[in-house]
Amino acid sequence: MNWREFQSMQRVAELGDRFISYLDEGTGEPVILIHGIPGWGYLWHALTPALAKQNRVLAPDLLGFGYSDKSDCFDRSIARQAEMIDAWMGELRIERAHIVAHDIGGGVALRLATLFPHRVMHLCVMNTVCYDSWPIEAMLQFGHPETRRKLSAASAITMLKQALKQGFAKSPDDELLDSLLVPYTTEVGKLSLIRNAAALNTNLTTEITALLPKIEAPTLILWGEDDLFQLVKYGERLARDIPGAQLVRVKDARHFLMLDQPDEVAEHISAFLKGEQVETAHAG
Amino acid sequence: MLGFGKQKQVTEYEADGESERVYHEIKQTLRVTGINLNFRTWAGYEKFFPAMWDAMRPLAETRAFETAADCVRAEAVRAADKLPRLENQSRAALGESQAYQLRAALDLYHYINPKLLVFTSAVKLALDGAQPERGGKASADVELIERGVPARMYPMEMVSSEPEEERIKELFEDIKQTLSLSSINSDYRTLALWPDYLSAGWKKLKPIVQGDEFKRASDNFRETVRKLAHTLPFPVPLSRERLEELGEDADEIATTTEKFERLLPSLIINIALFSLDWKTPETLVQSPFPARPRRNAVQGGAR
Repeated sequence: MNWREFQSMQRVAELGDRFISYLDEGTGEPVILIHGIPGWGYLWHALTPALAKQNRVLAPDLLGFGYSDKSDCFDRSIARQAEMIDAWMGELRIERAHIVAHDIGGGVALRLATLFPHRVMHLCVMNTVCYDSWPIEAMLQFGHPETRRKLSAASAITMLKQALKQGFAKSPDDELLDSLLVPYTTEVGKLSLIRNAAALNTNLTTEITALLPKIEAPTLILWGEDDLFQLVKYGERLARDIPGAQLVRVKDARHFLMLDQPDEVAEHISAFLKGEQVETAHAG
Repeated sequence: MLGFGKQKQVTEYEADGESERVYHEIKQTLRVTGINLNFRTWAGYEKFFPAMWDAMRPLAETRAFETAADCVRAEAVRAADKLPRLENQSRAALGESQAYQLRAALDLYHYINPKLLVFTSAVKLALDGAQPERGGKASADVELIERGVPARMYPMEMVSSEPEEERIKELFEDIKQTLSLSSINSDYRTLALWPDYLSAGWKKLKPIVQGDEFKRASDNFRETVRKLAHTLPFPVPLSRERLEELGEDADEIATTTEKFERLLPSLIINIALFSLDWKTPETLVQSPFPARPRRNAVQGGAR
């Protein structure tokens, strides 16, 4: 599926004065896929077909990301994003869902699991931000107010593409990188992404550290073990802190494990959501 | 070909110093999410731009100005309603979110373009040495409208004026050639976010804008706006002499301003034509973002 096809399948929900775009495919127990930064729902395009065979798959673009609201004057923090997911689930009349999340989306998921536990059936986080593992240097620099003036949208995309390449085990083709970054190719998109980067705040994961041992949802931690952005040691720590959590290291995968090893990642998630024991050949 | 002056346009991300200040003021006062081609072009004249804005701002924040723009908008819808409908079939291919955002983008331009035209006509009037017939009211007698961008207004997102995608590039060239433009307007650059929709819409629009009926409608419409500009409550302290004092090329600025005044009526009717595919004329004659009085806005705690 190319990004234009993905975009044309997106639905829309109004949440107060803001709106979000989201994919809604398949039937069954709902699974919500939450992307990270930079990115949008298209991050999940390689997993969606497999997951939608047994589940209703929902992939929102977070506020300020992708084709959701990119206007000014609202909070883009992971705390606000978790509140948004809660409100959106209410809007769709979804009481509980499986949550699958990556990068800062994982930070949103951890906040959901700790602060909105009634919303979370199963929790799967992948190469997630947690504790003080973030923001990474590249995003800190990108979120600097001067970036707006220093970089045109085209230059920003060139810079981000270079940075993103480090997140893949094998060099990704240009088309994939372009597709992941396409919502940010306009000046409005660039500015929105800068605002998103400026909203990254490590306090929003450190403040829930004490709550991690109280997570009751079955938890799977998937980690592209060669990730340079979020080191696997953080996954190991999460596996120790969340009761019963299972850590699976995915070989030959870096930060974007769902694109490096889509079949393996889809199999792990499908098995986990069915309540089956996840293949532990590489389990930590 | 309508060239818009010799100076380079100043984009929002390039703006600094006075231009940045004025851009911020424009967005707050005109209640809009972005900076249109008029202002980006005028901003190329560094001394003129802040002087022009400081002269126009007291007028632009009045109820009379907003009401004049409301009249222009309603008149445009009535003019468009007499023209053939676009009935753009490609709208059916848009996804739910795409259609939602496209409608929001049309609302944005349906709101701001009439304000730009009234603004431009008032600047032209001043540069021609004329002033509003009712000008000279004491400022205390004039109602002001609220400031700030309406909460649900679509951001003025647009593709590059020099797009990489070949079909958009060709489309922009065709639009520029047909409408005798040297630069592509923000409106079309925004609609190009949904290229299939713009492409199909333009195919229907092109023969309409080339017809006599459209030209007559645009000319009549322009006359209406000039009359409205004469009814604004304040004189605009701006003149060619003032521009010369500032060291600017008054003739070139006057010519550029006149070109915008010629261009905007047809653009406003075009946006009304696109909008008529989505909404009834009765809905479209209303402002998509009605402005509350400023005093009430402050008392009500609005941002």
